[in-house]
Amino acid sequence: MAAAASAGYADSLRRANLRDVARTWELLLLLTVRDVKLRYEGTVLGFLWTLAKPLLLALVFSFALSRVLRIEVGDAPYVLFLLSALFPWTWFQSSIQFSAGSFSNNAALLKKVYFPRFVLPFSVVTSQLIHFLLSIPILALLLLVAGYRPGPEWLLGVPLLMAIQLLMLAGAVLLVASFNVFLRDLEHLVEVLMLLWLYLTPILYPLSLVKERIGSIIYLNPMATLIQAWRDLFLYNQLPGIEIWPALVFAVVALVAGSIAFKALEGQFEVAL
Amino acid sequence: MRSPYSEHDVIILENVSKRYFLHSQHIVELKKAILHLPAFVKANRARQPFWALRDVSLTIRRGESVGIIGPNGAGKSTLLRIVSRLAPLTKGKLTVRGRVSPLLELGAGFHPQINGRENAVLNAVLLGLSHKEAKEKLPEILEFSELGEFIDQPMRTYSSGMYVRLGFAVAVHVRPKILLVDEVLAVGDAEFQHKCFDHIEKLRRDKVTIVLVSHDLENVKRFCDRAILLNHGVVAADGRPKEVVAEYLSSPSGFAAASVSQADH
Repeated sequence: MAAAASAGYADSLRRANLRDVARTWELLLLLTVRDVKLRYEGTVLGFLWTLAKPLLLALVFSFALSRVLRIEVGDAPYVLFLLSALFPWTWFQSSIQFSAGSFSNNAALLKKVYFPRFVLPFSVVTSQLIHFLLSIPILALLLLVAGYRPGPEWLLGVPLLMAIQLLMLAGAVLLVASFNVFLRDLEHLVEVLMLLWLYLTPILYPLSLVKERIGSIIYLNPMATLIQAWRDLFLYNQLPGIEIWPALVFAVVALVAGSIAFKALEGQFEVAL
Repeated sequence: MRSPYSEHDVIILENVSKRYFLHSQHIVELKKAILHLPAFVKANRARQPFWALRDVSLTIRRGESVGIIGPNGAGKSTLLRIVSRLAPLTKGKLTVRGRVSPLLELGAGFHPQINGRENAVLNAVLLGLSHKEAKEKLPEILEFSELGEFIDQPMRTYSSGMYVRLGFAVAVHVRPKILLVDEVLAVGDAEFQHKCFDHIEKLRRDKVTIVLVSHDLENVKRFCDRAILLNHGVVAADGRPKEVVAEYLSSPSGFAAASVSQADH
C-alpha cells in the first residue's frame, strides 16, 4: 500500500516535471509572439519595419562605403555583399542589445511570480530570430534579381549556422542580462561595444581585406568566421566547413559562462531588483 | 531512509533560515564604485545581517488553511516568498508538492500595449496553467472579469478597476493546489474584498491548501483552521486560530495589533 502510494507519487512528480518543461516552451513561445508584435506596435509600417530597417541601413552603408570610400568587394554588388552579412548580424546585435534589460526592466514580474526566468532574455533572441528568418526571402529575391541562384545548400546551411548563432546568443544574453541587474551601466556599454564589434567584423568590408593586414588574429573574433560563413552561403551557396570552429568554441564558452552567471546571480535578483 | 513526512504534507520547511543584509548595495553604480572605491568597500564590509527567518520548521498538510500572523517584520511575507520560490533560502530545506499560485499581486506581467485577452492568457500561463488550459479557461475568465468589449482593447485604455478585475479573474481560474495570499487583497473596495473572500472560501471547500498572511485577525479566525504566530523570524505559536490569536494579543507586540483590530471593527 505504502509502496503503491509512493510509486504513484513518483509518477505524479515525473508528470509535473514534464509539465514544467512543456510550460516553459509555451511561455517562451507566448513571450516571443508578444515581443514580435510589440516591436513595431503603433507604427504606420508596422511589421514592414522588420524588412525596411536593414534595407535602409544597407542603402546608407552602401552609399558611404562603396560610393564614398570605394571598398572593393569582388564580383558581387555591394548591397548584396552587405545584406548577406548584415541580416544575420542584425539578429545578433539586436538580440543582445534588446535583452540586456530583460531582467532589470521586469522587476515587478520577477518579484511577484515564479517562472523559469531565463525565458525572458531567450524570448528576445527568438523574436529577433523571427525577424531574421523573415528577411531571408527578401535576400533570396534580391539575389535572384541580380542573377544569383540560391541553391539547395541553403536548406542545410541556414539551420546549421542558425543553430550555432542561437547557442552563442543563448549564452551571451544570459550573461549580459544577469549582470545588468547589478550593473545597469552594462546596458549602455553593450550598445557601444556592439557598434565596435560591428566594425571589427567583416560585414561592411570583405574578410580578405583585414586578413591581408592583420593575419589570422581576425579569428579571435568568433563573429568574423560566422558572418563569413553566412555570406559564403547566401552569395555562393557554399556550406560552412571546419573553419567555423572559433564560432563553435565561442558558443560553448558563452553558454557555460552564461549559465554559471545566471545560476549564481538569480538568487540575488530578489534583493537587487 | 524513510521520510518522517507523509504524502499528505504539501509544504514542508525543515530548519529554514533566511538572511538579508541591511544597507547593502545591491545595485552597483559604476561611477560610485570607481570614484568612491574605499567608501564602497567599507559600506559592503559594514553591511548588517538580518535574519528574517531563523530555523523555522513546520509542515502544512493538504487542504489546510493556515493564517500567518505576527507583528511587522516578523517574517510573514518572507515565509510566503520562500514557499513561492521567489526568495531562495539561506539555510535549511523546503519541499513543496503541487502547483503553487501566489496571489501576491494581481495582473503581474500585464502589458499595457497588448489587449486584455492576450494578457489574460499569458498571465494564466505565468501563474501555472498550460497554454491549452489557459485557452480553455479564457471564456470563463472573460465572463468573470465583466470587461465586455474592452477585452479586445489594449490594456493601457483600462481603468485601474478593470485592470484589477481581469487580474483577479485570471487568479481565480488558475486552479492551484496551493494558494498563497498576501495582504494585497486588503486593497480595493469592500465589494472587491468580499468577492475575494468568497473565492477563498470556495477554494477552501475544494480542499485547496491556503496560506494567508494577514494583519486582520478576524479574517484569520474566520477563514483559517490553523494559525501560526511568527515573531522575530521564529514560530512563537502554532495551533487553533482562536488560541493563537489570543496569545498574540496578550503578548507585548500584540497590543498594537489589538488596537488596530479594534479600530477596524
